[in-house]
Amino acid sequence: MNSAEMTTEGWITEIQRFSLNDGPGIRTSVFFKGCSLNCAWCHNPETIRPQAELMVYPARCIGCGHCVEVCPTGAHFKQNGTPGFDRSKCVNCGKCAEVCFPGAMVMSAKKVTVPQVMAEIVQDRAYYRDSGGGVTLSGGEVFCQIGFAHALISACREEKLHIAAETNLHWDFDTVRPLLTKLDLVMFDLKLADPEAHRRWTGVDNARILSNLQRLDSLGIPLIGRTPLIPGATDTEENIRAIATEMRKLKNLVRWELLNFNPLGGSKFEALGLPDPFASVQPLNRERMSELIRAAESGGVKVIAG
Amino acid sequence: MIQFINQYPETETFDYHKRLALLRERKLEQTAEKVAKEGGLDEDDYGRVVPPDYFKFKITPNNPDGHFYGYSGWTENFTRLLAEHPLYVDPLDAFVGRGFFFLIRLRGMTGDPSYPYPWNPAHPFDDLKPVFARYNIICGIGRDHHFNPDIKMGMELGWGGILKKLEHYRAQNPPETYEFYDSEIAVVKAIISFLRRISHQLAELSLIERNPTLKRNLEEMADINFRMADGSPKTMREAVQWMCWFSMLSRLYNRGSAGGQLDQLLLPYYENDIKAGRITDDEARFYLGCLFFNDSRYYQLGGPDIDGNDTINHLSYLILEAANEVNIACNLTVRVHDKTDPVFLRKAVGYLFSNRNGWPRFSGDTALVNGFMRCGFPRQEAIARISSGCHWMSIPGKEYTLNDIVKINTAKVFEMAWREMMDDGTPSLEELYKRFLSHLKCATETTADGIRFHLNWQDQNEPELILNLLSHGPIEKGADVTKSATYFNMCVDGAALATVADSFAAVEQRVIREKRLTFAELDGYLTSDFAGTEGEYVRQMLQKSERYCQGDTLGDRWAVRISRDFSELVRAQNQRYPGLNFIPGWFSWSNTIYFGRHVGATPNGRKAGSAINHGANPHPGFRHDGAVTAMCNSIAAIQPGYGNTAPVQLELDPGIAESPEALDKLVSMIRTLLNSGNTLLNINIIDEDQILRAHEHPELYPDLVVRVTGFTAYFSMLSKPFRQLVVDRIISKRGVA
Repeated sequence: MNSAEMTTEGWITEIQRFSLNDGPGIRTSVFFKGCSLNCAWCHNPETIRPQAELMVYPARCIGCGHCVEVCPTGAHFKQNGTPGFDRSKCVNCGKCAEVCFPGAMVMSAKKVTVPQVMAEIVQDRAYYRDSGGGVTLSGGEVFCQIGFAHALISACREEKLHIAAETNLHWDFDTVRPLLTKLDLVMFDLKLADPEAHRRWTGVDNARILSNLQRLDSLGIPLIGRTPLIPGATDTEENIRAIATEMRKLKNLVRWELLNFNPLGGSKFEALGLPDPFASVQPLNRERMSELIRAAESGGVKVIAG
Repeated sequence: MIQFINQYPETETFDYHKRLALLRERKLEQTAEKVAKEGGLDEDDYGRVVPPDYFKFKITPNNPDGHFYGYSGWTENFTRLLAEHPLYVDPLDAFVGRGFFFLIRLRGMTGDPSYPYPWNPAHPFDDLKPVFARYNIICGIGRDHHFNPDIKMGMELGWGGILKKLEHYRAQNPPETYEFYDSEIAVVKAIISFLRRISHQLAELSLIERNPTLKRNLEEMADINFRMADGSPKTMREAVQWMCWFSMLSRLYNRGSAGGQLDQLLLPYYENDIKAGRITDDEARFYLGCLFFNDSRYYQLGGPDIDGNDTINHLSYLILEAANEVNIACNLTVRVHDKTDPVFLRKAVGYLFSNRNGWPRFSGDTALVNGFMRCGFPRQEAIARISSGCHWMSIPGKEYTLNDIVKINTAKVFEMAWREMMDDGTPSLEELYKRFLSHLKCATETTADGIRFHLNWQDQNEPELILNLLSHGPIEKGADVTKSATYFNMCVDGAALATVADSFAAVEQRVIREKRLTFAELDGYLTSDFAGTEGEYVRQMLQKSERYCQGDTLGDRWAVRISRDFSELVRAQNQRYPGLNFIPGWFSWSNTIYFGRHVGATPNGRKAGSAINHGANPHPGFRHDGAVTAMCNSIAAIQPGYGNTAPVQLELDPGIAESPEALDKLVSMIRTLLNSGNTLLNINIIDEDQILRAHEHPELYPDLVVRVTGFTAYFSMLSKPFRQLVVDRIISKRGVA
């Protein structure tokens, strides 16, 4: 690690050790803050915006009022002894979260240096070695923080760790290319084949994503494709078959994972003070999952349910 | 007699699988009956059955206090109990050997967890009691078994051979040993008579049974038992029958004890049967399944031989498959080392996840062997020291240990240090640790004094009349194992490591570094048990300090320091008592709740009276991601390092191993954590929703098994506070998700 990499700072929401679902073996996943898409079903909505924001969990509040004492804008207040919060006045400064040990106020992200992240990552080296695991950079979108991602990837390579990135492919290829070539595995999302539907549900169309996918494949890095099965959005045979066509074109695709809808985002939307468009949606049942897997298999690539 | 004769029509046919399935149904019914009649029992299942209503055994006291003690008291009561003990026979079963009682409990219990059993009043230890009370020490005085008999030797000799051996050595030893020999000879003669009575009863029942398959089985059992009354087993069925009776007899006497390395003990019998064409694998699995119904005894599978090669064999696979088929609470431990058969390990882990019954568990050969060798033992003995109990290892027949018995509540030690420091008015972190060590030294020395005292007088209190027979030393020397064992490797466990380490870390972080609190303020909050909203706020602040098992934190560093110093204090007792080898460990067993009750609020944000941490585990909610790897690294770092364990207790969701790839990852995790210095791994596969439902309605889940601490138990049989411990871990995990 050179001195610039040592001091490079980035925003992350979480470091998840003993991660079993983010690539081969036992891994540590680092969740980057900030995303270039805005998927309506996101189960990590706290990773979307680039800045840290306040997440509020009223059920944990013990009514101590320490947040009121430190809040510079009056967003936290007490009325008749009962704590209250006016999000419109909140400037996400994080002062309340610093004193809220009960955890009713939590900042969605923290600023870290590469050595700080590496100190956590290397603790599980023995587990990576035996299981064929390593580090997965996830998010949010990893490549929204290109400098930090670059420094972290370099540091992992110096430690000779297997390194994977999960990405939505929505970025400038030439900027990201030098980082991609240092990865051992790329796990990419392909959510919707139809450009208009893609725009409607994620905020951008998929032209750049599909183009980047082809260019990524030309780099010869092993790829794992992922498609979240979102009821009413991505879970049609038509969409799955169309994505299958894209998957079939790839020379380096190891497999394609179909991920059932994860309703865990719900409480996070609430904590962020955002509406959850999928609040009442349930995961697909086993039969429907099987049907969609069969549709996916029509593309002739290896498909698994994630 | 409890018997199930003529329960099936003459025409009913049976194969081994059907018989195991029917036996399993009966086992579950009996568990439900035990819960209904005896309530919550925070302990192993033991394969014990509720005694028939008509049978009552009244002890004969030999002391004015109403209890009995010493050779004469135990011999008289045990031989009479054997003479009167009813037979339990199930014609579906390949074996007889179920027990109903533990004589140790029939003698009467004190109700005090520190001294659960009465002690011979002729040998008082009133001088030690105040110190035991001060530090909440479970001293082990008057406690029994918890070491490993040499079952191989027992099977080679048979009861007749053991009797001859006793008579042989009696003739060679002086008259002062005759009390020992005469007691043991009376016990062995009573065992032989008991087994002959059983075989006659079996023969009589075989005449009544109408179903031809079951009738033949009863005839075979009668023959086998007649031979096993004084002979040595020649076939696998005879060997297992011998083991079933030994289990029952040692349980009946004083609840002891462990099994041995099952895939080595039975291997010669199995191989001979196979060579002679006497047995099929199906039949072998059936016998093994019946053995598991008979008793939930601890058995080790696999491990290295002296050259480091794996001892896993075909029988090891049959044992796993039989345990899978009966699918009840089994206490099987796979000993994992560098050359462990990977196929076997994967199969074992697969059963753990598919059955969700807490078995098998896994012991870490490298750390155990290296640790024991640090005590000065050769490698051969370290390898022979096999997994035998909740958290302990023992060399069959050679060690006297008090394993998993002697415990020091270090949270109580901390509390004493804190109070003394605050009362003296000189609070500082260094002062606190200095006083903690000083009290810990006093607690450890008094614990060692207690162990020496126990060894001096236990034969006058409760001689090990059954386990002596399968130990190397007692018969040869004419003295109880407490005086004649080959090695005295005395286990001294600490409890509350996380509670204390987190408390030191919280003081360092919040009082010293951040200056959010003064010592006096913290003391006020502890005294008030964090009363009021501000108290709760401070409690949560303390609880969110850098904790043990988060990975390279203040809590981790304190835990390493405390464990190292505790180990040194325990090892220092070897100088005080030459001939005894004191071995440190971290384990709290079911004392997790009891110890907690005796300690007020602690600076880690723990409320007064609530449980201490379990064993070497962190307090629940230790990490946002609950990372198993972080926890296992931290537990590896605090290993006391002399061959006893500080186990890792994991709770994992069954969904975690749904795919073959995920199972591979978990196998790898187990291998890595055991190769990283850990000594023992217990894994509970917990369907959290099911546990929460079962907590409300335990009666609806008679077959739900959890590995609570070291042992597996039926969830419904646990007391409510103990079930609550499991539930709290789940709630805590969900709270931070």
